[in-house]
Amino acid sequence: MKSLWIPTLLFAASLQAAPEPRVVALPGKSPLVTFRFVFLTGAASDPAGHAGAAALTASMLTKGGTRDMTYKQIVDAMFPMAASVSSQVDQEMITISGTTHVDNLQPYYKLFRAMLLEPGWRKDDFERLRDDAVNYLRVSLRGNNDEELGKEVLYQEIYARHPYGHIAAGSASALQKMTIADLEQFYKDNFTRANLVIGLAGGYPEGFLEQVKADFSRLPAGRATAVKLPAPKKAQGLQMTMVEKNTRSVAYSIGFPIDVKRGDPDYPALLVAQSHFGQHRLSGSRLYERMRQVRGLNYGDYAYIEYFPRGMFLLEPDPNLARRRQIFQIWIRPVEPPTAHFALRLAMFELQKLVKDGITPEAFERTRSFLTKYVNLLMKTKRAELGYAIDSQFYGIPAYSAYLKQSLAKLTVDDVNRAIRKHLRATDLRIVVIAKNCEDLKKKFVANGVSPMQYNSPKPPEVLEEDKAVENLRLDLKPEAIRIVPVDTVFE
Amino acid sequence: MLRILTVLLLAGALAASPSSGAPKAFPYAYDQHDLDNGLRLITIPTDYPNVVALFIVVQTGSRNEIEPGKSGFAHLFEHMMFRGTPAFPPARYEGVLRTAGAASNAYTMDDHTAYHTTFSREDFETILRMEADRFQNLSYTPEAFRTETLAVLGEYNKNSASPTSKLSEVLRDTAFEKHTYKHTTMGFLRDVEDMPNQFEYSRLFFDRYYRPEYTTIVVAGDVTPENTRALVEKYWGEWKRGSYRPEIPAEPPQQGPRTNSVHWPAPTLPWVAVAFRAPAYSDQEKDQASLDLISYLGFSESSDLYQKLVIQDQKVDMLRADSPDRVDPYLFTIVTRVKKEADMDAVRDAILATANGFKERPPAADRLDAVKRHLRYSFALGLNNSESIAGTVARFVALRRTPETINRLYEVHDQVTPADIQAAAQRYLTDSGRTVVTLTGGKGK
Repeated sequence: MKSLWIPTLLFAASLQAAPEPRVVALPGKSPLVTFRFVFLTGAASDPAGHAGAAALTASMLTKGGTRDMTYKQIVDAMFPMAASVSSQVDQEMITISGTTHVDNLQPYYKLFRAMLLEPGWRKDDFERLRDDAVNYLRVSLRGNNDEELGKEVLYQEIYARHPYGHIAAGSASALQKMTIADLEQFYKDNFTRANLVIGLAGGYPEGFLEQVKADFSRLPAGRATAVKLPAPKKAQGLQMTMVEKNTRSVAYSIGFPIDVKRGDPDYPALLVAQSHFGQHRLSGSRLYERMRQVRGLNYGDYAYIEYFPRGMFLLEPDPNLARRRQIFQIWIRPVEPPTAHFALRLAMFELQKLVKDGITPEAFERTRSFLTKYVNLLMKTKRAELGYAIDSQFYGIPAYSAYLKQSLAKLTVDDVNRAIRKHLRATDLRIVVIAKNCEDLKKKFVANGVSPMQYNSPKPPEVLEEDKAVENLRLDLKPEAIRIVPVDTVFE
Repeated sequence: MLRILTVLLLAGALAASPSSGAPKAFPYAYDQHDLDNGLRLITIPTDYPNVVALFIVVQTGSRNEIEPGKSGFAHLFEHMMFRGTPAFPPARYEGVLRTAGAASNAYTMDDHTAYHTTFSREDFETILRMEADRFQNLSYTPEAFRTETLAVLGEYNKNSASPTSKLSEVLRDTAFEKHTYKHTTMGFLRDVEDMPNQFEYSRLFFDRYYRPEYTTIVVAGDVTPENTRALVEKYWGEWKRGSYRPEIPAEPPQQGPRTNSVHWPAPTLPWVAVAFRAPAYSDQEKDQASLDLISYLGFSESSDLYQKLVIQDQKVDMLRADSPDRVDPYLFTIVTRVKKEADMDAVRDAILATANGFKERPPAADRLDAVKRHLRYSFALGLNNSESIAGTVARFVALRRTPETINRLYEVHDQVTPADIQAAAQRYLTDSGRTVVTLTGGKGK
């Protein structure tokens, strides 16, 4: 456990020693210039009763006016440059980013700087952006995207009564009570030099970085945000949250906290295990192969050891979602209701198998080779490279690509299997279900009866044989461990 | 024939004067080479090291689904392409991609299907050989076919949680009568559910369209044209030309305004979609370019309507317009999400008034120049890695089979005058070519 904290402590020490904002710079010949300013604070620092303050503050900076310009004036100025400023808010990072063609560097930077240093705090911007934030929770997330809904509910369940306990977007009721003064206070406390990492990449001219550093030294010095993040409470047995909503199919998210993050000794080993078991959006991993490829249960099935929001729209993760605490997670894309019980059993069957048998030397070699090269693709844009470099500073590791390649080169299949046994499990975990008629499904889960699988085509004998074990797999879900919640109470 | 264009992106101002001889919009030198069998290869060396992006574009999409009951088939076929060959059964195919650390996927559009893989330079030959094998020797069993149709149903299911999928489905179904743009690439649910019974048709589909004359290979990254040509000739040179030409039904002129409405069973904010019949993609004529410019002039974040509806009155939280590039005449569509059901009619009328405004008076010249500059920079900002360069070219190759069409398109854009905008609006933003579809949801908090 001790080792877990070392990189963070080193990082924290370097924060206090820094008299001016830290800089991650990747100069180059590209005609594009990318800005990526990360403040090391976020939803975990939302004051009590103000869930969503970090996110709404960031929206006010990037989608609202400045002291001297209305939002409309900013949009008009940015429009001919095809540029914008956007924000991403997670538990421990707020990222303000944008890219401009070098032709427009100075006019763009002038706007970018004013947006961060001289926010306008206008009432009409506030009301519009608060409405957007509430509608994101109530309509977009709750109503229109069962998969992201399931993932976020899983995080809320795992981190109940924890600084990570609410989604970064906040809660509808807290947002509705929030005032501009609350956001100004959040800005004052958190948008400080101590929290700032200046990220700059691309073909900016000599002297530009110095200009940026000098300008941003105007931020108050502040103190580095230091939220205590205890280990979340472990689930007792299988605990299930069912979200009742009128939907066509059944979506699952399954997971539990792990004590492993980038830079920890077991991270590379666990990454190999996760990639073998469920590499995001790529076919050929174990879960995908057994659930979709062999049985046609759904569109895809994946696993994660790091937070990865918006996975249904992305092939690679966005950087700057770094966290000191992570979970292991399985994402089962929506299944047809008649196969829902079987699908859950199959996912659990595969997880049990992974924990019990580990991975084979062949799978290890293949996955290690994959990750060693795939990491190059993660850095294919300057924007991503810059984001990863900032994350590496957070985790106290060398450049991610070098870190991973060097660690993987030294890794053995035994390291991976030891890490699986140490950190993964098929019990004491939480399951989130998004479905219609949750009561009926709950009865089936509790009764533990056989859930036979019907196919539309003949299957090889070994699949049918395996199905017998799966359809009878006993999942010890006690009625008191299953909670059904109506969808309109989630994120309220 | 090696065609080298000057790399202009690095040379200086991109859009200092869009109306007077602006530089080429697609700034990369490329090599365009036709094989004897009709396959076309486009190689774009870039200065992004080590990585290669390969896009294989087949000019067949949901537009080619001409038989009744077969909607969604181009997309289903995209799935089937991952079901292996005798030399590379799925597990071996996946194993090679894995070992290569490749990111591989595919997508289906109205007019084309694209298979893309991004990988390290040293695996170029391996990947190109394996891809050549699956395009020529795809082989799957009826059992594998039936299983894969369920994954397609799973995809329909995951999309079905979003009301915009439904809105788009109903909009097309209402706006078109004969043309295959009537259905989405996913297809009608009834056809998706019947897919398990269509094994034979799937073989016919492959035989018709997975042919060199329908296919263009786009390679961007750390490659040379000479080496790429040699490899493509080696592995793809024997692929046999086909003979099938589909007869895509022409859409009759629309004779009057149409409306439709969707009831969404769950709570959601209401949506309004306003569509007008629009011309096909052209890199010669000004009408489609003019409508594209109107989508920004009238409905983008910088427009007066956006300012009124989103920023001032705050009646809607999303407004966008789009005039997508399609092989055949398609739609110019404005979509908005309204905060209160009671405001839907007023919002629709405000959209129609904006559209009519373009018919009544030409836009200000400086505003039109700002939009042109926006489009140029927006395009340049998107070309920020080999994969996005290949992906962008793939989109245009689906229409005209050459990156040169990008330069021609932006030249047409540059020539559009305020009077052209007005003329295009008068021709296309008409009552008789209009379709309005609304979506309202159940009640929630």
